[in-house]
Amino acid sequence: MSKKDTPRFDRRRFLQASAALAAGGAATPAAAAPEARQQPAKPTILGHLSRPADLPKAKGPRVVVVGGGWSGLTLAKYLKRFNPAFDVLLLDRKDQFVSCPISNVWMADQVDLEFLTHSYVDAARNNDYLFLNATAIGLDRDRRMLATTLGLIAYDYLVLAPGIDYDYSRIGVEDPDDAYRLRMHYPAGFNSASEIMAIKHKLQDFGGGTLLLTVPAGNYRCMAAPYERACMAAAIMKKRGIQGKVLLLDMNPDIRIKTDGFKKAFEQYYGDIIQYEPSAEISAVDIENKAVETDFDSYAFDDAVIYPPVRAARIIEEFGLADPASAQFEAAIDPFKYNLLDDERVYVTGDSRSQPFSKSGNTAHSEARYVAEVIAAHAQGKEIPWRSPQTMCFSGVRIDPLESMSIIAFYSYDENEKTFEFDRVHLMEKWNATAGQAGLAWAEGLYRDMFYA
Amino acid sequence: MKPFRFLPLALAVLPLLASAADPMTIKLTLEPDLRNGQRLYAICASCHLPEGWGSTDGAYPQIAGQHRQVLFDQLMRIRSGERDNPAMYPFVQERTLGKGYQPLVDLVSYISRLPMHPRHQKGPWRDHREEYREGETLYQANCAQCHGKLGEGNNEAAIPMLRGQHYPYLIRQVGLIRSGLRKVNPVMTAILGRLDEEQLKKVINYVSWLPVPKDKLAPSLDWRNTDFN
Repeated sequence: MSKKDTPRFDRRRFLQASAALAAGGAATPAAAAPEARQQPAKPTILGHLSRPADLPKAKGPRVVVVGGGWSGLTLAKYLKRFNPAFDVLLLDRKDQFVSCPISNVWMADQVDLEFLTHSYVDAARNNDYLFLNATAIGLDRDRRMLATTLGLIAYDYLVLAPGIDYDYSRIGVEDPDDAYRLRMHYPAGFNSASEIMAIKHKLQDFGGGTLLLTVPAGNYRCMAAPYERACMAAAIMKKRGIQGKVLLLDMNPDIRIKTDGFKKAFEQYYGDIIQYEPSAEISAVDIENKAVETDFDSYAFDDAVIYPPVRAARIIEEFGLADPASAQFEAAIDPFKYNLLDDERVYVTGDSRSQPFSKSGNTAHSEARYVAEVIAAHAQGKEIPWRSPQTMCFSGVRIDPLESMSIIAFYSYDENEKTFEFDRVHLMEKWNATAGQAGLAWAEGLYRDMFYA
Repeated sequence: MKPFRFLPLALAVLPLLASAADPMTIKLTLEPDLRNGQRLYAICASCHLPEGWGSTDGAYPQIAGQHRQVLFDQLMRIRSGERDNPAMYPFVQERTLGKGYQPLVDLVSYISRLPMHPRHQKGPWRDHREEYREGETLYQANCAQCHGKLGEGNNEAAIPMLRGQHYPYLIRQVGLIRSGLRKVNPVMTAILGRLDEEQLKKVINYVSWLPVPKDKLAPSLDWRNTDFN
């Protein structure tokens, strides 16, 4: 399993040492605690990181938000809105935001890079919080202390919104060497601006033959995106006059969402380009020979974009917060209030959540507005009624002009099954240019909400 | 879609301030093109759904059946940024809906004719409860003068019809207004400031039970707006 073999061993030791130092050996998360106690602290490595970060004094209850994605950005803004007394810090290890939503249509030149790119400084300035370009490396919940690359930060509330990591082990790639070669040569493009840019360059340079795209199993980020990407890749090939095919290997038995729409689009516009193969359980990737193995077949490719299954960001597991029952290492949280089951001061939101909601920008945004209200209410000793996140997504099907289809869905809780299910799903699978524009307006509106208004 | 009927729509008052003391108003009368309204509503429907019924948990308001001037007024305020709704902002700009007032008139005329949610979300207290009656008294004393005895609002004055709106939506909006996060007219803000949280809950509960005339309602919960299929 990747849990044992991936090359984060050094980081983990570092974390444990850090936590041990910060906490004086006490109160590290349960899973890591015994090991941490056995390990000697290594002050020579940690140096200044075990000292308090050099920050302005908190002017009110300090809320630290880790992760500046759609969830974290929205939380930082609305926490401050709903409780102006909060002193809000937003942390991200990146210094600039590049949107993953809309990136597929960016690859097909339907918007420019400025459309996707936004500044954390703008977001912080316009919404009255501080942005710190830092990485969270340790957590001591008893002392309410977060260890970061800037030093220790004390919090009154902590929100972890770290997103996803890839899990290459679930497509049979166990060796970290191989996983990293896949990441460099056939990146997925669902977790990194550099990957997204590399994929655009691949599509622009593709010389013909077979372009392999994959759809992971499980609850992966942005359910419609791999199918939309197939449409965009095919549209780009058409436009460039490249002879070749897009081989779309789907680990699922059928198209996961907007099924009829995508089927129709594949057939109607890209029948000679897109080859769709469902139930393709990828069991191995042969990087040397450029081939993907499934249980029954082997598929050769000339170039590829390989999207492995995903898991909650590793930090959730490293901090000892993962739900043991979760196959994707998602956090053990209250499904309505989002706090850790044993800690009302630490919340997990966005794609590391344990609820089976769609891992997508609009879901994270609408959820974060609600969770900001939950935390603001908690600080006043109050509770607010649960509201469903809203999953909404637009998928580009054709370009020049962009034509899209859309879906909006909510969730309801099934008391008997003790789980969430889709509620009020509304599909608009008839694509057109109006929906294409509406999709861009949607993104622009949320960028505006998170960064500028 | 119902057959066309051209209704003149007197546009909201647009003060052109020649000087602060000397406002000038223009009234425009435009005939709605419902077919264009339907075309434009496709943009709105990706969030507000084809029925415009809102969500019973209060995340979205019911917009179906609302007065045209109210819808127009709110769209204009969101367009200018006066009403803070960043997510909706790009959707209501001229570059999305088309230049001038005509597309807005088309759009609001379409929305106002949509049949309403037959079972919108009500508050917790029915009419035999003390809380309901207290809410009624408070509503009639504080709110009815503008919003109407029956919560019917006033189209000409752009005062929202309240009946039929989801209880959680009203609760949230009143909370936002009271905490200064949603700006509305000062009279409204002052009245909301006069009542305490418990009183407001009772008022909103009462409003949520005000009956919507049958002919404004969709025949059943299963009714679907088929204009977009």
